[in-house]
Amino acid sequence: MSTILTYVAISDGKVKRSSLEVLSRCREVAKENGLKVEAVIIDPDASKYTDQVGTYGPETIYVIEHAIFKNHLNKPLLDALETVVNEANPVLTAFASTEAIKDILGALAMRLNAKALPDVASFELKDGVVEALRPVMAAKLMARTRVKGDRMLVSVRSGSYDLAEVDSQPEVKKLEFSFDESSLKMELRDLVTSSGGGVDLSEAPVVVSGGRGIKDEDGKKLVHDLAELMGGAVGASRAVTESGLFPATAQIGQTGKVVSPQIYFAVGISGAIQHVAGMSNSKVIVAINKDPEAPIFDIATYGLVGDLYKVLPPLIEEVKKAKG
Amino acid sequence: MKLHICIKQVPDITAPSSIRNGELVFETDRVVLDAYSASAVEESLVLSEKHGGEVSVVSIGSDKVKETIRKALAMGAENAVHIKTGDTSAFDSSVYARLLAAYFEKNPGFEVILLGKQAQDTDAGLTGSMLAEKLGLPYATNAVGLEFDESAGKMIVTRQGDSGQEIIALPIPCIVTCSNDMNDPRIPNLRGIMQSKKKPVEEISPDDLEISSDELNQMAFTEITGYEPMPERQPGKKLEGEPEELAKQLVDLLQNEAKVL
Repeated sequence: MSTILTYVAISDGKVKRSSLEVLSRCREVAKENGLKVEAVIIDPDASKYTDQVGTYGPETIYVIEHAIFKNHLNKPLLDALETVVNEANPVLTAFASTEAIKDILGALAMRLNAKALPDVASFELKDGVVEALRPVMAAKLMARTRVKGDRMLVSVRSGSYDLAEVDSQPEVKKLEFSFDESSLKMELRDLVTSSGGGVDLSEAPVVVSGGRGIKDEDGKKLVHDLAELMGGAVGASRAVTESGLFPATAQIGQTGKVVSPQIYFAVGISGAIQHVAGMSNSKVIVAINKDPEAPIFDIATYGLVGDLYKVLPPLIEEVKKAKG
Repeated sequence: MKLHICIKQVPDITAPSSIRNGELVFETDRVVLDAYSASAVEESLVLSEKHGGEVSVVSIGSDKVKETIRKALAMGAENAVHIKTGDTSAFDSSVYARLLAAYFEKNPGFEVILLGKQAQDTDAGLTGSMLAEKLGLPYATNAVGLEFDESAGKMIVTRQGDSGQEIIALPIPCIVTCSNDMNDPRIPNLRGIMQSKKKPVEEISPDDLEISSDELNQMAFTEITGYEPMPERQPGKKLEGEPEELAKQLVDLLQNEAKVL
């Protein structure tokens, strides 16, 4: 029986929620098609995560462990994915659309002679055809795109599907993997983590983002204070990463990161379509903007019309009180 | 240093458009140099100004692509290759990657190949790493910074990764895909525009690369069957009033209505 394989990414010692969303979706799709659902973890300590991944219902969890996976490097990840695809022989391999996966998906497709649908908002599998909706034209609209084949790849934007846990007893299969480091032509010289307090933006439960309405360091501090208080990460719109007020690593949108937190605060952000593409899967969107006509209010769960410099200080106090 | 920039012509995505019977219709037929490609061209010009070298652009498409090639030449690229095909509307990333790979296999001696990290029309982001795999080259994607380390003879790429910026050294030859956050592409001046008309553009056909037109038309792996509007979120509650009042109301709603606090 053929298989749908989900690659479960590990980041900073944690299983990526977006990968588990994809695994939850793949279990549904596998059931509809009478296929097996399997997962793979590739990490120096991959075995550590099998219990947690197991609660999302894969029948088999492949683990590939090697010290080379400590930091992202495209070649070893490609080699490991090739190894597991050759072993599991899945008709469809699914990924969360992380930066690491964007880095390798094309190369993997070429290497496996597979057909890839990158960065989809939703996908179906029916009669051997994968059909997906993908945001295109700088996220102005969706293209319904399809592939048919015996080897297909799909990467899914975060927040597109809900997590669904289930009772299961997966079989864990450890795959042999060796990597000759001298074959690695590239060298990772340094890794510069963002200054946002170390919370991974794409996984954060709360994101507080600043936009053009933030004029100075004082405004930036308000954004940081709220984020810290909420245990969240700091994001930004392109306007303020370009101006240099916020780091480029904080940029959210079609050209930056895609986030899907429980609460997204858009502070002084007008809501340009390219920004919205990076956050519209958030559960609750709070917009704070002094322009009552700002397009962000069309999508906000709660819109606060007011000057962010006047609204954020009492808001920070109220949140402090609520958190006790 | 030899720099080859693979550039793409895209519809002007800022132009008004609509969906009619599932087809995407732009109100103008204006085409532009893809913004990510433009950043790759800009970056290569900066590198060649600093370290010396030759900047060549490569583009695929019908005669209309010449207009976009001229734009890159007007920015400062020295020469161009136009891989001339028919209508490219059914081409996907794998078609572009295989045509480019065939070109570079036939014309070895390349050193650094730059592309946009994705293109504004399809937002797929596959072509760069597909080309790298085809040519067996080391590569880095989503670059926001690019330097040449002369003493080591390596390209130093700053790429935006999941948990921060990765600084990667690549030997030459290599492939780098560029983010539009890398730089502000220059606007060609009049002199550049005049000069661009005299710069050489070599035209080659897929046949020259041993790819027949039949083969080419069946090469795409993916098929777009229609376009749809973006799903819309429903607007929720809009609150107005004094800041203190707004703050209280919001915390109450997050706690008791949305239950996320």
